[in-house]
Amino acid sequence: MVPRLRRFLAENWAYLLALAVLALLPAIVGLLTGSDPTPRRGGNESTYWQGVFIQIYIFGILAISYNLMFGFTGVLSFGHALFFGIGAYIAGIATNELGVGFGVGCVLALAVSAVLGLLTGLVSLRIKGAYFAIFTMAIAQVFFVLAKNRLLADITGAEDGFFFIVPQWLTPTPKNRLTYYYLTLLIFALVFVFVRRIINSPAGRVFLSIRENEERAQTIGYNTLAFKLLSIVFAGMLASVAGILHVVFNQRHALPGLFGATYTVDPLLASLVGGVGTFSGPAIGAAILQLGETLLRGIEFTIGGTTIQVAEYWMMVLGIIFIIVVMALPQGVVGTWMRWRARRRLDPDRD
Amino acid sequence: MTPLAEERRTLSPTWLFIMAYFCALFLYGALDFGFAGAIVMVFSGILQGMLIFMVAAGFSIIFGLLDVLNFAQGGFFMVGAYIGVTLYTSIPPESMSRGLAFLLSLGAAILTGVVMGAVIEIGLIRPLYKRPVFTLLLTFGISAVLREVVHAIWGAAPLPPPDPPDFLDGKFALLGQDFSVYRLFIIAIGFLMMFGVMLLLRRTRIGIIIRAGLHDPEMVEALGIDVRRVFTLVFIVGTVVATLGGMVVTPFRGAYLEMGDEFLLGAIIVVIIGGLGSYEGTAVASIMVGFTRAVAAQISLEYFNAPVLEELSILAVMVFVLLVRPSGLFGREE
Repeated sequence: MVPRLRRFLAENWAYLLALAVLALLPAIVGLLTGSDPTPRRGGNESTYWQGVFIQIYIFGILAISYNLMFGFTGVLSFGHALFFGIGAYIAGIATNELGVGFGVGCVLALAVSAVLGLLTGLVSLRIKGAYFAIFTMAIAQVFFVLAKNRLLADITGAEDGFFFIVPQWLTPTPKNRLTYYYLTLLIFALVFVFVRRIINSPAGRVFLSIRENEERAQTIGYNTLAFKLLSIVFAGMLASVAGILHVVFNQRHALPGLFGATYTVDPLLASLVGGVGTFSGPAIGAAILQLGETLLRGIEFTIGGTTIQVAEYWMMVLGIIFIIVVMALPQGVVGTWMRWRARRRLDPDRD
Repeated sequence: MTPLAEERRTLSPTWLFIMAYFCALFLYGALDFGFAGAIVMVFSGILQGMLIFMVAAGFSIIFGLLDVLNFAQGGFFMVGAYIGVTLYTSIPPESMSRGLAFLLSLGAAILTGVVMGAVIEIGLIRPLYKRPVFTLLLTFGISAVLREVVHAIWGAAPLPPPDPPDFLDGKFALLGQDFSVYRLFIIAIGFLMMFGVMLLLRRTRIGIIIRAGLHDPEMVEALGIDVRRVFTLVFIVGTVVATLGGMVVTPFRGAYLEMGDEFLLGAIIVVIIGGLGSYEGTAVASIMVGFTRAVAAQISLEYFNAPVLEELSILAVMVFVLLVRPSGLFGREE
């Protein structure tokens, strides 16, 4: 028992440490800024930083789900926002229109996104590569058009969107912020462990072999379609979890933009920055981008009389990051670090 | 890379399907909105098809010849429009005739395309040819940067459509409806691009070198031709088609930040329907999609009194075509 525990600790100490820090973060921020992490009323600096990290976790879940499909299984999709949006819309509409509880709505949302993942995945049998990527983009676009269409306004609220009905303890007020912080952290950690467990399982090995060479995996005798479907369905369900969490956090307001290209490009960029096909890469990428945006937002500098506010040019900064990462760091932050470490281990001149 | 000999094979079932599709749409239009209504729809369909084609053409050239999915194509289109319009409106009317100013602006748009294409291909795309997914991600980044640069220089407000030069201004009547001459001009330029590039690729020495260079780069290098220069040239052709197209549509639509993204989705759909890598396919699919949009717009206006079907209809056409022919109408089989 003890040696197993020791091995577990030796392998996972970094993750456990990160989890411990994140769990203590509200208290640390509270101490540093001298603000109450659980204010009775009104927001303060503590709740602000809790909010930033809640967004990191949500964005991280989305990026991890994208990476499961793209980074580990090699299925390129431009329609990941479909699942993000459908999760939120089905959960909200089910609670609002069918009168079921919010929990039941969430389960229903997961079921629907699993079915949608299955259907789009089945199409990948016939449509391959770039065609499949653009096909998924088109499907997401169909839902975007439907969501903002006036014809369905009674249910979806068209362009104005609609509001979720959530239990009292989930209502996004500063008072509930800390509860929500731990809820998203818990879900984020579970998703992380889940994906890691899958990839290290026999099924996960098949995912990797599909990414490396689908025909070879087929020749060995694996039903690659079934494994690809599994990967797409899991990724879709995790993305819809992120969608639901996102809407609840954003004043419970669901908008057609949830199906927009942003929620496909962001996880793609996060996976890329962190490292495609690594476990912690997408989450770290999501954190880098989210913190970058938060920190850069306030910065402004003056050149020759004109004041430039970085926040206004955030999209340009993102684009430049995109270009730099693609050109110079194709393995991402984590991938590059892992390579560097592996090379150092092999280096005979060490010590 | 398509073997050269295979390009001439005929795909008669595909053509039959396309013709049947056009006839069905036209018949439906004629029955529901009258013969004149159907003719108007054909006209507006071709126009919409050409607008999409101006973005799609470059996308198709660059993918078909270089295997690069270029998502920055919409950005090129927009930059061409902004530069062209700015030059065109800033030339004072006293100094030269509007026609000459218009030609100059078209020239400026072309020049922008040449410079931008050369810089991006040599500086950014060239190191990445061996990593196809990464070129695609790179072009995402480029398109975001282009958009923001334009935003920073020109601001968020759209530039209003300038008046076209006199000889392209005015209206003509078609079956009791007014049409501006400028729309005809857009259609003409669209067809010119279509056949111009086709001729360039098929009938000129440069075209032969391009196709040979993609088919067997080592052999072409052995003949003493720098293949990398050929690639750059192809990329420039793709860029120029977009920037020129951007300028051409401005007197009709003006210049605005979303114009690239707006046409990009349609363009990608068109390229997919036509078959990635087939220039002819893109041309045919553009007109197909334009026509579909026109009919769908008329139906939504008539029955739903809201723009409902336009986008859904072309997405439906794409899904249908892909399910029947997974590589598009004229795409190479994988």
